[in-house]
Amino acid sequence: MASSVLARREAREGFLFALPYLLGMLIFVLLPLVAVLWMSLTGWSLLDAPTFKGFANYAKLARDLEFRGSLGVTAVFTVGLVALNLTVALLLASLLNVKLRGIAAFRSMVFSPVVMPIVAWSLIWKFLLQPQGPLNTGLQHLGFQDANLLLNPKTALGTLIVIEVLKAVGLNTVIFLSALQGVPPEQREAARLDGASPWQVYRHVTLPMISPTLFLVFLVTVIGALKVFTPIWVLTGGGPAGATTTLIVEMFKQGFTFFEFGYASAIAAVLFLAVLLLTLLQWRLRKALVFYED
Amino acid sequence: MGPGRIARPPARPPWTLLLYVLLVLVCLPFVLPILWMFLSSLKSAQGIFGSPFSLNVDAGLKNFTQVFAGYPFARQYLNSLLTLIISVPVTMLLSATAGYAFARMRFPGRDVAFVMTLAAMMVPAELVAIPQFIAFKNLHLTNTLVPIILLQIFSATGALSVFLMRQHFITLPRELEEAGRIDGLGTLGVFRHIMLPLSRPVLATVAIFAVLNSWNDYFNPLIYLNDEAKMTLPLALQRFTDPLGGTYWNLTLAASVLVALPVLLAFLMAQRTFIESLAASGTKG
Repeated sequence: MASSVLARREAREGFLFALPYLLGMLIFVLLPLVAVLWMSLTGWSLLDAPTFKGFANYAKLARDLEFRGSLGVTAVFTVGLVALNLTVALLLASLLNVKLRGIAAFRSMVFSPVVMPIVAWSLIWKFLLQPQGPLNTGLQHLGFQDANLLLNPKTALGTLIVIEVLKAVGLNTVIFLSALQGVPPEQREAARLDGASPWQVYRHVTLPMISPTLFLVFLVTVIGALKVFTPIWVLTGGGPAGATTTLIVEMFKQGFTFFEFGYASAIAAVLFLAVLLLTLLQWRLRKALVFYED
Repeated sequence: MGPGRIARPPARPPWTLLLYVLLVLVCLPFVLPILWMFLSSLKSAQGIFGSPFSLNVDAGLKNFTQVFAGYPFARQYLNSLLTLIISVPVTMLLSATAGYAFARMRFPGRDVAFVMTLAAMMVPAELVAIPQFIAFKNLHLTNTLVPIILLQIFSATGALSVFLMRQHFITLPRELEEAGRIDGLGTLGVFRHIMLPLSRPVLATVAIFAVLNSWNDYFNPLIYLNDEAKMTLPLALQRFTDPLGGTYWNLTLAASVLVALPVLLAFLMAQRTFIESLAASGTKG
């Protein structure tokens, strides 16, 4: 009897404690998410009233060459960014894991772009990479006669990937570093006594021990890559000739430049589907990794 | 072998110097752009273009005074500060109360609500920008800081904050709460006087994320803010242009220094806590 009174009070108080945040999340995240899925089924422009059109937007997407191009750009950008980011982060973390006087300063240096405002970071590179800017002229002196990294459709996307990795890789590096430091040295010592080479120790002791972190970081980085917008918008605006127009840039253009809300919502829905699939995949794969987790 | 004798330091392997050289080379691409930004902010437009890497700082602080004299930069700075001053404490408070409720109290719908919080952490905010925009437009709140502040609080960063707080409260021993209750504290009292003071490190992490999220926010201001005087700093940085749309790079870089400096200084002063808390939030997941 008394306990049910207490339980009821706890339920009421718990609800009230969570309510302000939950209400906000409902209003600003979940309802708009439902709305965007519904809007993707409408023709809705800035001045028109919404009209229900079924899957017409999606049919149009399937035919739209710009959209198809943005799918490809997003795929290349995401795969390139994630591969480069994780590889560099792991190499940096392993390098910065040495015991050396002043190593903390080097760790801070790698990390400092993470706290730089992304617009400021992008603007620095925009200057350095402008047509007659120092980097392109430098490359021209080296013999790449038409070097123009951001205005060449072949190099623009790769250049953006590198700029974004330099900006963000410090965060993953620090996370890997702390995972590496959590690996008990006895385990590596034992493997070494068994005659394992440094590479074998790394491959068969260190990597498996940090694999849960690797995996988590992998997923967060993939989802992060899908939504990178600011550096692209500041540096290339999606150009040249659509070479850096990712899904999110295409959505922004359709929605906030052309005010085709229904069509832009369909693009958002496609992106949402991609994020959802990746997250579900993670839950599946995570179970396979549970063995390593404590 | 006297008692005070200090153990001999381990012999320095010969590759130590090589390692230092490698470390310096590896760090260059991360710090050079930032150092270059500082250097160039003290140069004239001609200096930046003519000899971008020379150390001749011919403009002194002229660019900085120009940024404030010729543009509503002071106003934009205040806008960014105001946004930060509201969104950061509110994020801390709401994530602490929600995190506490998720960790410690049973109420109907709790688990569903928590799974939704996890989802909100994963879903990129950019996906829901269009319905948000239409709603704020109908409420006549575009071109104000209201949507900017609200969308910072209820962003993926906000959801992450709730998650971090929950993970933290789960680890605190229940006996503490019971002791507080015996002393006559209600739920709010236990939360306020026992739980919150024990949560300073996590609250600091939440604050760091919220500050970076607020100070560097570009996407939503780009959508909502049109008037120069209403803009926040990340947008303002792109506004130093001549009548033909060309960029005044000397001013842009001076303004970039002013925007980056507070966060860089805060980072340099508290880098240990900073890096450790960020690392912990990544490995605890």
